[in-house]
Amino acid sequence: MMKISILGAYSTKFGELWKVSPRALAKEAMESALKASGLKASQIDALFVGNMLSGILGNQANLGSLLVEELGVQIPAFKIEGACASGGLALHNAINSLKAGQYKTVLVLGIEKMTDHSQDEITTALMAAGSDEERMAGATFPGVYALMAQAYMQKYKVTEEDLAAISVKNHYHGSLNSKAQFQFLVTVGDVMRSSKIADPLKLLDCSPISDGAAAIVITSENIVKKVRKPVQIIASEVGTDTLSLHDRKSFTSLSAVVDASTKAYKKAGIKPENIDIAEIHDCFSISEAIATEDLGFSKKGEGARDIAKGKRTLFKGDIICNPSGGLKSCGHPVGATGIKQIVEITEQLRGEAGKRQVSAAKIGLTHNVGGSGAVAAIHILRI
Amino acid sequence: MTGIVGYGTYIPKYRLKLSEIAQMWGKDIVEIEVGLRISEKAVPGFDEDSVTMGIEASKKAINMAGINPTSIQAVYFGSESHPYAVNPSSTTLGEYLGIGNNYFAADLEFACKAATAGMQVTVGLLGNKNIKYGLVVGSDTAQGKPHDALEYTAASAGCAYILGNKQSEIIANILDMSSYSSDTPDFWRREGAKYPSHFGRFTGEPAYFTHVLTEGKNLLAKNKIKPQDFSYCVFHMPNGKFPRVAAKKLGFTPEQLAPSLTVDKIGNPYSASSLMGLASVLDVALPKQKIFFVSYGSGAGSDGFILETTKEILRKQKKIVSVLKQMEDKIYISYATYLRQTHAI
Amino acid sequence: MITSPVKLWRRQKNTSALIGKKGKILNWTIIRIPARSFVDQAPYPVVIVKMENGENMIGQLVDWQEKDLKIGKEVISVLRRLKTEEKEDIIYYNIKFKPL
Repeated sequence: MMKISILGAYSTKFGELWKVSPRALAKEAMESALKASGLKASQIDALFVGNMLSGILGNQANLGSLLVEELGVQIPAFKIEGACASGGLALHNAINSLKAGQYKTVLVLGIEKMTDHSQDEITTALMAAGSDEERMAGATFPGVYALMAQAYMQKYKVTEEDLAAISVKNHYHGSLNSKAQFQFLVTVGDVMRSSKIADPLKLLDCSPISDGAAAIVITSENIVKKVRKPVQIIASEVGTDTLSLHDRKSFTSLSAVVDASTKAYKKAGIKPENIDIAEIHDCFSISEAIATEDLGFSKKGEGARDIAKGKRTLFKGDIICNPSGGLKSCGHPVGATGIKQIVEITEQLRGEAGKRQVSAAKIGLTHNVGGSGAVAAIHILRI
Repeated sequence: MTGIVGYGTYIPKYRLKLSEIAQMWGKDIVEIEVGLRISEKAVPGFDEDSVTMGIEASKKAINMAGINPTSIQAVYFGSESHPYAVNPSSTTLGEYLGIGNNYFAADLEFACKAATAGMQVTVGLLGNKNIKYGLVVGSDTAQGKPHDALEYTAASAGCAYILGNKQSEIIANILDMSSYSSDTPDFWRREGAKYPSHFGRFTGEPAYFTHVLTEGKNLLAKNKIKPQDFSYCVFHMPNGKFPRVAAKKLGFTPEQLAPSLTVDKIGNPYSASSLMGLASVLDVALPKQKIFFVSYGSGAGSDGFILETTKEILRKQKKIVSVLKQMEDKIYISYATYLRQTHAI
Repeated sequence: MITSPVKLWRRQKNTSALIGKKGKILNWTIIRIPARSFVDQAPYPVVIVKMENGENMIGQLVDWQEKDLKIGKEVISVLRRLKTEEKEDIIYYNIKFKPL
């Protein structure tokens, strides 16, 4: 059975990185991941890039070839896109190339540069993740998730305050993460007072616009590394669902996540309760509530309430969710998130997470979603 | 004989009180309301235009007529606010109504009488047996320039009439029609101009009254018929005062005119104005009643019609969404919202 | 979103068939930070409607008041202009919903 090991992992700071160009962002992430892996660029067989908006915002296609220039070697390079799940999908494809025996050691980069563009350019661009019907209805990304939030709140009698607790938790975690975009605490009151974006979602229910990149080096080589403890990726699964929210069977559960995670748990030979830590795709507070139910951590309808009770919080919960601060506090450069999640779990499993270290973490999961749930990539890691 | 087999009307939901306009420009509202005899006007939604309103009205007309849209063989769309300067509203309308492709079509412009001119064309096609059914639409979202007198009256609405030849379907026969036309520059709008211009008091006696009264008198004389022979009269309504004066001068009573005076509650929706008054009368008319109908379009001309209702009208009146009901189905907006909705800001 | 004349034309028959259909609001939200094309219309509600034929549709709610924003509220589909166009652009019509 082939083992997929992570040799090196690195994330840049996330935030409004005005001075840093996309090339510089990629260079920093790739070179640092290589350094951490103890390898040179010439030892990499291929580059997989996860990115959503280079074409839409930057008018730049051919991103694989562009970014491989920053590595200084002419190796095969690919851009893989699945909206906000681009990072997770890039990793899934990289793993498949290793399993196929085509490559042995590859670099996977997630990258997004958003702040060069105006707010309404970005709002418009992000709706590329949805459907034409949604765009023509004047829906925005927060708008689609707001519809989910209303359905969830109505069905399970959950309040806006319950959802606000999710942002509170993630900001608490982010305050312990020097790479996070926002390192300040927020209260439920702060969230409730923040301005409405798409009723009932408010500013502090929504992840921010960010720049950032994250990179990992993975290998199928049977190398015993004494430099780093080997974290292994023991499952990599993808699921899809309809593009439009209104075409789905449920507005309060993402079947793409359920499908992918069911396959992942089976592949890994574990159950949800075996997960110690998870990086969840909380593009909006409601997303995390629904995710913890879809992943089997909480019973249906109890996700938000369990988070409010502290069951997913650092130092007191059982399955710690978003120790990095999640998308809300750490930031959400869309293509980079899926890989940053892997970087976080890797650091946690290796005991290198500093102030936000989860003790005795052995098994971690990453949950990366594209659009309002049209695609999901689930990875399970173990040390 | 040719006549109306179905009609439909559409009044947008929003209303602006004339007092809001008067307050904006520091005018005496009492003086204005007394002069114009209007208290509020219909304002279109941000995303409405003459075509969308035309579709709403036409669907009701088709429902009343009880025909398949594909049997409509002519579409004439009259408006002063066609969405495009060049691109036919009539076929956009036709396509969204599912009429098919086998029909005569054209867009008409003749200020407020564009649609009644379309009716006359359609009567001709029916009489010549070129078509079995023809659809005529009068619909406008034309506006008046802020701070101008027309601002108080310029409104929006849409009307649709389906004409046919089958006696068993006709609710009002068109017994006769004629027109009086001239070159009289009382009111105009240049290419590219957002708002129309007018020449104040010149729009009265030499324009509106000369055409409406002369056409009216000619039509009565030609048919050797008197005002007393009619149950109703309908005139174009640029404001509440002019049709009342015209009716009186031609020898009609206030009672004959009253059911048609939609202007009092919705203002003047240009190409839909006289047709809205006619619909308001047809909503309540009984069989075998004569209706005297004279429209007016600036520039200028008047189209006159003598109609007589049939017994079919009772059955088809059951299908109406009445003009009265739509006039009362309203949301009041502020002057600022009105500017926003009419794309002035 | 792309609003080319070809796309408008290709979709017309479908759009035409959807006018005047009734449904009930399943969920609603109010968009306060819109995409570029809709900036001049915000804030406006977007609703998911369960149509009488069982299918769901998403659309903008027009001619609305606060009291219309209720789960289960009956609505009807209408044809309206999609957005405010540039001076030389094609005019694009789209299905929206109006409270009954």
